[in-house]
Formats: sequence, structure tokens, C-alpha cells
Amino acid sequence: MDDLVIGMAGSGGDGIVSAGESLIAAAAYEGYYAMMTKSFGSQVRGGESSCRVRLSTRRVHNPGGILDIAVALNWDDFLKFGAELPVSGQTVVIYEAKTGVAPGAIPLSGVTPKEVFAVPIGDMAKQATGTDKAKNTVVLGLVAGWFGIAREAMLRGLAKKFAKKGAALIQANEKAFVLGELFAKEHPLATPRAMDRAVAQAGSKLLTDGNDMCAAAAIFGGCDFFSGYPITPSSEVMQFFTTHVWKYGGAALQCEDEMAGIGAALGASFAGKKAMTATSGPGLALKTEIMGLASIAELPLVILDVQRGGPSTGLPTKPEQSDLFAAAFSAHGDVLRPVLAPTSVADTFDVTVEAFNVAERYQTPVILLSDQEVAQRKETVDPIDTSRFQIEHRKLPTETDLQDYARFRQTEDGVSPISHPGMLGGNYQGAGIEHNEHGNPTASGKIHAAMNEKRFRKLAPLKGRKDLFHIDGHEGATLALVAWGSIAGVCREAAALARAEGLDVKLLVPWLVYPVAEEIYRDFFASVRSGFVVEQSHQGQLYRILRMYVDVPAGVVPFCRSGANPIMPGEVVAKLRNAAVALQQPTTSMASED
Amino acid sequence: MSQTRSIDYSTLSLRDALDLAILVEEEAKDRYEELASQMALHHNEESARFFRFMLQVESTHEHQLLERRRKLFGNKPSSVTRTMLFDVEAPDYDEVRATMTERQALETSLRAERKAFAFFDAALKSVTDPETHAFFTELRAEEADHEAKVAERLSRLPADPLITAEDVGDEPVAH
Amino acid sequence: MTLESSVERKYLAKDFRSELKPIWCPGCGDFGVLQAVYRALAGIGRAPHEIAFVSGIGCSSRIPGYTTAYGFNSVHGRALPIAQGIKLANPELLVLVAGGDGDGFSIGGGHVPHAIRRNLDLTYIVMDNQIYGLTKGQLSPTSPRGLKTPTSEYGSFEDPVNPLLYVLAYGANFVAQGTPADMPGLAAIIEEAIRYPGFSFVNVQSPCVTYGEEEQQVKAHRAHMKTLESLGHDPADRLAAMGLAQAYGQELYTGVFYRNDTPAPTLDALARERQKTMAGQGLPRERILESFVQR
Repeated sequence: MDDLVIGMAGSGGDGIVSAGESLIAAAAYEGYYAMMTKSFGSQVRGGESSCRVRLSTRRVHNPGGILDIAVALNWDDFLKFGAELPVSGQTVVIYEAKTGVAPGAIPLSGVTPKEVFAVPIGDMAKQATGTDKAKNTVVLGLVAGWFGIAREAMLRGLAKKFAKKGAALIQANEKAFVLGELFAKEHPLATPRAMDRAVAQAGSKLLTDGNDMCAAAAIFGGCDFFSGYPITPSSEVMQFFTTHVWKYGGAALQCEDEMAGIGAALGASFAGKKAMTATSGPGLALKTEIMGLASIAELPLVILDVQRGGPSTGLPTKPEQSDLFAAAFSAHGDVLRPVLAPTSVADTFDVTVEAFNVAERYQTPVILLSDQEVAQRKETVDPIDTSRFQIEHRKLPTETDLQDYARFRQTEDGVSPISHPGMLGGNYQGAGIEHNEHGNPTASGKIHAAMNEKRFRKLAPLKGRKDLFHIDGHEGATLALVAWGSIAGVCREAAALARAEGLDVKLLVPWLVYPVAEEIYRDFFASVRSGFVVEQSHQGQLYRILRMYVDVPAGVVPFCRSGANPIMPGEVVAKLRNAAVALQQPTTSMASED
Repeated sequence: MSQTRSIDYSTLSLRDALDLAILVEEEAKDRYEELASQMALHHNEESARFFRFMLQVESTHEHQLLERRRKLFGNKPSSVTRTMLFDVEAPDYDEVRATMTERQALETSLRAERKAFAFFDAALKSVTDPETHAFFTELRAEEADHEAKVAERLSRLPADPLITAEDVGDEPVAH
Repeated sequence: MTLESSVERKYLAKDFRSELKPIWCPGCGDFGVLQAVYRALAGIGRAPHEIAFVSGIGCSSRIPGYTTAYGFNSVHGRALPIAQGIKLANPELLVLVAGGDGDGFSIGGGHVPHAIRRNLDLTYIVMDNQIYGLTKGQLSPTSPRGLKTPTSEYGSFEDPVNPLLYVLAYGANFVAQGTPADMPGLAAIIEEAIRYPGFSFVNVQSPCVTYGEEEQQVKAHRAHMKTLESLGHDPADRLAAMGLAQAYGQELYTGVFYRNDTPAPTLDALARERQKTMAGQGLPRERILESFVQR
């Protein structure tokens, strides 16, 4: 077996997520490609909690659809997760025998799983450690025993995890693990499912989540300053900076509110530093005014928005792609603000570095639009060769420029050399008020029009950036998918599955979601007669924005859904299958020729 | 409120006194320039014109004193700086209004000259050096003379009209 | 012909004056504040290009443009966070913040306690005129109860905030008040505030000549202002300062209300120390991803 999806649920106190983390850490060490997502109830502690771990010997692009293995420490909690832990006739279900539910009567309606095991998990834990608390370790043993995954690595991991707690605890946990393994060996699966050995070398993969990857990438890209405000699901980025940035001579500040969070970062940029803030939907709304200020003051700034369910407080722990309108259009006035969206933990590195480069080159705020899925899932990443990245810096004034410096001087490309306090001769007034080339306030229509034109013109080259778009599949394909952010990963798998079925489908994944690169979309859609813009939002916001700027073929329609309703590769394939069939139907004009 | 800081009048030499007087004129000149500029920006030409006139008066006086200083003391450095002065003869900023009439502008100047007179008058009480004393007495007399000239000019001005700019002007603008 | 000064002075007050003509109404108290700022900066001796002057929105917030420093006339109420970002990014800069009573104590009010407790080395000058001048004379948070304005036709129902008391209660280490009616005093206070190591606050009674009453203008200040010194106040006594601050609105006290002579180190100093201590403790930037390798 080369691709396995495990879903586990219990209550917070059971340590289910902890088990998942041990599992993915072990898998990563072994060289598997892996992803792990978590989902919780609304309690701060001890509520229902779940995780899913996908491991594969090949690269995976999303956390998978139907579970191959479902582990339920209790049924109430498992069922609360509904469509996030989908079980089918292919699933092996393992559950706590103490729930008293008979294997033939598990409460999953409409489904008869492949195999069902009632396991005395709690009892085994008690036997090994004297308390039933080590249930999660027993589960790891079961998984290792049944599916042959990463035994040594898991034991190593457990030893490291409990190192501080002493040898007795480590041994007890090992015992629990071994008991689980033993149970699995004594009750083998009817159809053995041993996981293939990983192809990659052990100890070579990175394992991290999107938030940490983003922060690390920012520091790599030269970011020296972070300020922000805690908000789920982006707080980890602030935590990374407040812990590490000092080592690089930088500074980080947790501010009193979202406005101060972006305000201080803007100040740092004004002072000449590469600066960043991070937030989610509700914070993006509050930051709007200062985002506009950054645009008119032509200051580089990266604003990470880790999207969550909206609107307003919405669903703080669920991913959604419904901030795109806000990211692209927020801020009154004529503002053109680039929006870049990573699609995975791996390319969060690339896109973050690029966000800083775009901010610096064009002296503009940039929205780095991630989502809870990418930001908080753990993912194995093949080593990244950082030497292949170019780091850009803002255009500084030359000695000649400083003789007669005008901060907003009109230039051919619209980008003016930018000074900062401390630079002799570069003194200027930054402001939100419209200004002339020297930064002095003006209400002149002529100057205002010229300045707007400059601020838009400088960003025009972005629309030609083919390197910020990934097209998969053959150029002349008539079936198409467009997807961005975490949904791109779902569509990558869907497109591969569809092609394996003989469907001629191509996929476009934009990193640059705004401004709309009209030419690139026009070229892509030229051959397309049918397809889907797949999005995790009620409105299908990218689809709407594309329709503003591009003639989207009539046969390309949105396939979109509110957050917390996961879109699975299989669903997308089904839609493509039906679309392909529909394409082959004769049109009415053909019929009338008969 | 003392109009100067860090000046000990009891030990003030003639050179220092001259330097002080020059800066007093310079300060007044700079202030009239600023006020004229404010008036011009607010389209009050008649007041702007008068303040520009006062600028010239102060400037002339300043140059006279500079000449005198050069003759007596050449290029010897000065120990008196503008930071020691606070609106000695310069009209205070709050003296002016956007819609002030020419009459009101002259009255501003009148008060400034009186202020200068009072300054030298008060300083004289502490000055011990005889040359300085004579000099300040002279300056005090000049201020009295200036005051008289302004008062005379004021007397030749017609009374302010019944309707002023304040009455008919547009309401302030919101930004 | 200019005189050579024997007093060593790197910059004169006029070196801080820009060419931009203030849009303030003639008679505005802010002219006096501007002059005092020029004087203070001349006294301090930092070069204009090493000074960052941040403001919000309002008549008084135009002030950075009238100086030769780097200025940032930002958005309403957000000058303090922006200034703190500048200072933390480059602690070598001299950072000034200015705004009106509305900018600081209405929309910007939420930032004041945090700027104070964070204690970066910067100086906040509020030009307090008890009105919203730029937007045509509405109530401000420091307007007295009963004031009639376009948004309080029948007289305001609200009591004013007391900026002095609030700032003292929030724990500011340097709190002073001045008025253009006493220019030497105002220039001295601003200079002292800038010199003070840490967050310093100067409230200036800077009347609005267009929307304020005659009895609120600078001339009137001269009649009833009192120096804290003349009252025998000891600026080392915070509680006494707060007691005197309670008279805000009734009395005009000038001078230093409170000065903590043994303040905690500034946040920028602490940050610099931490940067020094932790320098090189991280992986080089190009190898930062190695911290994610599963070993």
C-alpha cells in the first residue's frame, strides 16, 4: 500500500492529536510524504478532538478524502466531525471496546466498513501503565502492528517526547505501544495492508506547518520586523518571530490591537526595514485603513491573512477562501494591491519570499493569502535549496537622486527611489493625503490623476508574471480546472485521477490571484469548453473576480462550497467525468441539421 | 513672563547689548515675514501689505545696528543667540486673525512696540554698564518713537467699516 | 550679514523650518507649538534627517510637514503605533509624535496606555484645543459639558476626558503641560520631554482661533495660568501630580506634573540588548529551514 489516510477522534484528554503528531513525525523521519490536519470542538480543553494523517511514498497534495483507517476512542466525539472523517466500505474501523457498541452495530449510517475491530484500548493502556491515559500510545502500536508503519521511528519519537518525564514513563509508554502491536498481530486484518517502505532517505525531510514555514521564509527573505495581534489561526507566526527574530538583529512586537499591529509594521517599513504583520479575516477588516495608507504612501509591507470561516467571527478553526474580495478590494479609493496565495506548506516558502520581493520592488503592501488548512496542517517538505531564490530590496536613491530628492518622483516604471529616516538628503513627508512628487499635500485633480496612474502603472508588470502561475496538463485540453490556495492541492490530485481515467483536463493554479493576469487566463481558456473554478467559499470569489476581467467561457462554472464542508478529489473527478460526457452530447444546431 | 532667557542684564556689555538688539530686530523681522505670509495665504492683502512694511522697518533697523556693531566690534563672535529671545519685539502669534483689518494689524504692531519699550525699560533697571545703559536708553526712546509713528499712522486710518470680512466671509471649510 | 555665534550649536531653529506654509488660521495656538518645537530641536542638536515626526489627522497633525525632519502624516488616531514601529526598527532615530486631543484621546485613545507602558523612547505632543477644528467644529473628547457645537446643538451631555490624569494614571514617566502664552516655558518643556529617556507626554493648551471662544484664546491664558513650580509642586510625586491634574478644565497649570527620575529601561534599549545577546544564536538565514528537519 503506498497511500494511507488515518482519521482519529476522541476527547481532548485522550491525546489523539498528540498521537497524530507522533505518527507524522515518525513518518517524516522515515522518509514518507505526509500531511496531518487537526480539528476540534469549541472548548478550549477537553472537547472533542480529531486528526487525520495521510502518508504516502509519493508526493501528496491534500490530506486525502475517504479514510482508510478510522480510529474512534468514543463514538459521540467521532460522529461530531461528520464529513471531516468520512468512512466508506473501504475503511478499517478501530474503536474502543469499552464504548459497548457491538462491531456490527457501529453508528455510521449508510456504510458497512471493510473491517471493524473493537479493541480494549483503555484496558491495554491500564495494563501497561497503571492508568488508561496512555490510550493514544496503544493506538500507535495498533497502527504500527496492522500497517507496518515506522515502528522504530515511533518508539524513538515517544522516548524523545517523554525524555523529561523520566525512564519509568518512557518504559511504560513503550509497554503500551507493544501491547497495541501485539493485539494487531494476534488479530490480523482480513486483507493485509502493509505500508510500502518510503523511497526517500530517512532523516531528510522537513516537517512543519504553513505558519512556521511562512515565518521562516520571511526571515530568509530579509524580514526584520514583525508586529501583530493574536488571532486564530495565525498567532503562530507572531510566536515564531517573537522567539527568533532577535537572533537576526530584528524586533517583534505584540500590539494592543490589529490596527497597532499593522501600524507598527508600517512604521518599521517607513524606517527602511522589511516588515510584516499577520492576521485572519476579522483582523484584515480592521487593518483596512492602514493598508490603504501603505498603498498611497508607497511603502512595502507584507500582510499575511490566514483565512478562516467568515463572515465576522465566523468559524475560527476552519479553513475557507472567502477573504479574497476583502484582500483584493478592501480600502477605499482606487487601490491596486497584489494578493499572493500559497497552496501548500512547501510552496508557502516560495510564495512568502515572493511576497516580500513584490512588496519591495513595487513599494506596495502585499496580501499573502493563506488559509487555516495550509497554515496549520503539518506537512513533510522535501529539502528546499534556498540558494535558488533571489532576494530583492527596495530601490534606494543614488547620490544624484539625493541632490534634489523627490520621494514620489515620476519615473518610467512608476517606481520612485525610496529613502528612509537616517538617510541624509532623503528627508520627505510620508502621508495618507494625496501628494505631489515631493510628498506635499495637494488637492489638484491633475496631480491626483497622475499619482493614481503611477501607483497602478508600477504594478502592471505583475500581470505578465507567468512564473506565478502553474499549468498542469496539455495546452489544448477542453476540460479545465482553476483552483487556488489549499483547494489547489485537492484539484491537483483530482486532475491526476481524471487523466488516469482518460479525461483530457488541464489545471491552472495561480499564486498571483490579484491583479488578474488577463492574458494568462485568456490563453488558458482559449481551448476550454467546460470546467470548474473550485473554491471553498459560498460565492466562489475567484470565479467572480475572473468574470470582472476575463471572458470566462460559459462552460466554466463555479464549484464552490462554504468552509467546514471539505471538497474531496473524488467529487471533483465526478464533476469532470459528467462534464466530459456532456461535452460529447450533440448540440441543438447539429441535431437540426439532420 | 520674561522675554529672554540666560541673559544677565547686570553684567551685559555694550557688545552683548548690541548683539541682543540686533537679534530683537531680526526676530521681529522674521515674525513680520511669517505673519505677512499667513495673511497672504489667507487672502488678507491689506494686512499682508502692512506686515511687509513692518518687515522692512525692522530690517532697516537691524541693518543699522549691524553696521554700528561692525564698526565697534568687527567680526568678534557673538555670545547672544536667538534661543535666548522669546518674542521681545516680535508680535505674538495669537495677535493676528485671518479677517483682521488694516487697523487691527496696526494695533498689533502698536502693542509689539509697546512690548519692546517695556522690555528695554525693564532691562534698564538691571543694567549697570554705563555704555549699555546709554544704548538701551536710546533703544527705548526709539521704540517710543516707533510706537508714536504707528499711532500716528493709525490715526490717519479711517475707522473700520461697519461691515467687516468677519461679517460677510464664508463659513470655515471642513477637511 | 550674520553674526558668528560663540555658542556651539549644530543647528539653528530655522534649520528645522520647512518651506511649506502652514494652513493653520492666523492666531492658531499651533504656531507657538511649532516655534517651540524648532527651538527644542535646535537645543537637542540632532540632524533633521535623523528625526522622524509622526502625526495622525487633524489641524495639529499637519505639523510634521512644517519641519525639515522626515515626517509621516498618517491616519486618524494611529500615530503612536506607527511611531513605535519606527523607533523599534531604528532606535537611533529621534522620534516625535504629535496630534490633537481627538486624534489622541478619542479614536487614538486605545493606543495611549500601551504606548506608555511599552515605554519606547519617544515624545508625544498633544495640541489640546477641546474641539475638532479640521472637520468644522464638532465636539472633542476634551470639550466641556454643555458646549454647543454642530453635533451638540443643545449642549453636550458628556464630561470631558482628562488627558493629564489619564496619562498619569497609565503610568507615564514624564507628563507636562504648556501653552504658547509662555513661549520660553513651552520650548523648555518640549526640549526636556524630548531629552527624557522614555515615553514623554506634553499636553499643550493650543486654542482654536476659529471655533474656540475668546476666553479660551492664548491672551486669556496669560491671565489665569499658573506654573506648577509656583504652587510648590514636587514633580517626583505622582499622586500630588494627579491631584493637581484633576483641575484640568478649571485651571491651567503649566510645567512638569511628573517626572520619574529612575525610570525603567526603555523598550528600545531592552530590545537592543536582547538583539546583542542573541546575535548569531539562530541558524544563518539561508539555512533557517534546517530547524524543521526531522532527525
